[in-house]
Amino acid sequence: MSAGGVVGVIANPASARDIRRLVASGAAVTTNHKLNMLSRLLAGLSAAGVDRVISMSDMGGISAGLAATSSKPSGAGWPKLEFIDHPITQTASDTAVAVEEMVAREVDAIVVLGGDGTNRVVAGFCGPVPVASISTGTNNAFPGVIEPTVVGLATGLVATGRVDPAAATRRCKALLVQVGSATERALVDVAILSGNEVGSGAIWESAAIGELFLTFAEPQAIGLSSIGGHLRPVCRDEPTGLHIRLGPPAVHRVRVPLAPGLLSDIDIAQLAELGLDQAIQVNAPSGVIALDGERVLRFAHGETVTVMLSWDGPLAIDVARTMQIAATSGVLDELAQQA
Amino acid sequence: MSQMNRLDLYKAMVRIRQYESRILQEYHADKKPAWDIGAGLIPGEMHLAAGQEPSAVGVCAHLKKGDAITAPHRPHHFALAHGVDMNKMTAEIYGRDTGLCRGKGGHMHLFDPENHFSCSGIIAEGYPVACGQAFAFKRKGTDHVAIAVAGEGAANQGAFHESLNLAALWNLPVVFIIEDNDWAISVPRSHSTANASNADRAAGYGMPGVRVENNDVEAVFEAAGAAIERARTGDGPSLIEIHTLRLWGHFEGDAQAYRGAELETVDERDPIPRYAELLKELGELTDDQISSIAAEADAEVDAAIQFAISSPEPAPADALNHVFA
Repeated sequence: MSAGGVVGVIANPASARDIRRLVASGAAVTTNHKLNMLSRLLAGLSAAGVDRVISMSDMGGISAGLAATSSKPSGAGWPKLEFIDHPITQTASDTAVAVEEMVAREVDAIVVLGGDGTNRVVAGFCGPVPVASISTGTNNAFPGVIEPTVVGLATGLVATGRVDPAAATRRCKALLVQVGSATERALVDVAILSGNEVGSGAIWESAAIGELFLTFAEPQAIGLSSIGGHLRPVCRDEPTGLHIRLGPPAVHRVRVPLAPGLLSDIDIAQLAELGLDQAIQVNAPSGVIALDGERVLRFAHGETVTVMLSWDGPLAIDVARTMQIAATSGVLDELAQQA
Repeated sequence: MSQMNRLDLYKAMVRIRQYESRILQEYHADKKPAWDIGAGLIPGEMHLAAGQEPSAVGVCAHLKKGDAITAPHRPHHFALAHGVDMNKMTAEIYGRDTGLCRGKGGHMHLFDPENHFSCSGIIAEGYPVACGQAFAFKRKGTDHVAIAVAGEGAANQGAFHESLNLAALWNLPVVFIIEDNDWAISVPRSHSTANASNADRAAGYGMPGVRVENNDVEAVFEAAGAAIERARTGDGPSLIEIHTLRLWGHFEGDAQAYRGAELETVDERDPIPRYAELLKELGELTDDQISSIAAEADAEVDAAIQFAISSPEPAPADALNHVFA
């Protein structure tokens, strides 16, 4: 824990621009909206005493916009802003490389603006560094829709050690997917689809889904995890997940929001609890694997695919709990006195 | 939405690439002195679309006879994918009397009423025209759509914004395609555009805007299918920005010194070999097919060039005929 606190910022410039704006009613989260959220975040981090922020670089207007605003009067109160000089590929590997570098530079926390997919990539590289997540995606179950100013405050309190990270964070579950010798990770859901089309990535139809694995299932969620949420809710802190086989044949039917404004009737063939550290082999001999709602991998005949629930997710900063601790322990009063 | 046929997508992309490659060769073959763009069998500037095949092929796979396209100064890929006759198009590029415009337009002015295809060297000129076509389709009660294509630099023109406004206001069956090849001639987006993505600009006009990354023909196919379906069924306009690749210069003869290190990686980002590899992995394409598909395209292109070269030039007496401005 450094004295002033150093926070890394990952903001996915590409989130909320996929096909679900056409096939569903996904809203636009524009670059300028994301920059506005970042300015609120930085104000909160500054108020909590963070004096350095390290941002990833991108060609989607985020780092350029941050740099431009930091030199204006409105950015004068921000923590010192640095940008990681990494090659920009405009793919998820930019996030991976940036997070690795942030960990190497010993940041005290990382804030992620993106969707489930962005958080999944961060989780693969952040190690023990706590992560706070703000939703700027379309179908987000992992990150919440939450005011960035408050996330900045909470993250800053953890990063500066004013609130004990052990008390302010909780370990997240993950699904580890083994395809041959490769291991992938998901934070919310793994879906096994028939066929071999990856297309534009996002899922908004259930017809091709054969199996679904969930780390948690909240009935108020949107996206694939809502299927489990409607059937048998599972909390983020429970040491179990869900394994669902979709019909036909069907023994049950749910009507769930698979995407914004898009409700689908889904036939359920089987529902089972998913225990920790048990590798489950998928049924289909070939197909496509979707991680957190994105079709990303194909597997062919002869390739065995297993899915395992583990406590291998990131250490998430619980913003509500952090602020509760800060308010009841006098930390917020101390902060106000120092201002 | 149309069913995707991978082999058809691949063939259509190869056909365009073989065409552009031959035009590149023929354009330079007799241009002496090399800096004189008026010299040689193909007169005028030449803007080739190698690398941008996924956008044209992914979009046009959903179009039917009677649908319209307005393309910009880099038009060949959309013309070929939309069914413009290769012979007549090539004759026009060569300035021959058998060309689409009787040899008076050249490669930036390919007008094909039969296929509702047009293009223009004036940046963003095609946007309002596409709105007009879409308005006509709507007035006639058809389910036809108009596709307006331009580059990311064109989206800074007033005509772009006026067209999006009108299309949204009148709920027109038009799909705006932005081909973002990273370069507006020699200007990167970061030097010219306040918005990082034109998908954001669509949101300002209340229409869906999506961005397709990675120059992936199947991702384009899926997004374009959804947007065209919306337009056909009365849900109005959409915008798709496709992050594509300009494999060669802005125009032929462009030294591209401004591209710096980015130029070193263009070949590895070429979408056609990458797609061929995927299809081979999936067992849907063989090396023999790769050769035969290229050979078939070459033969068609050879025939089109022969047709053009053997066609007469316009007669001087016709100089003022068929000219409206």
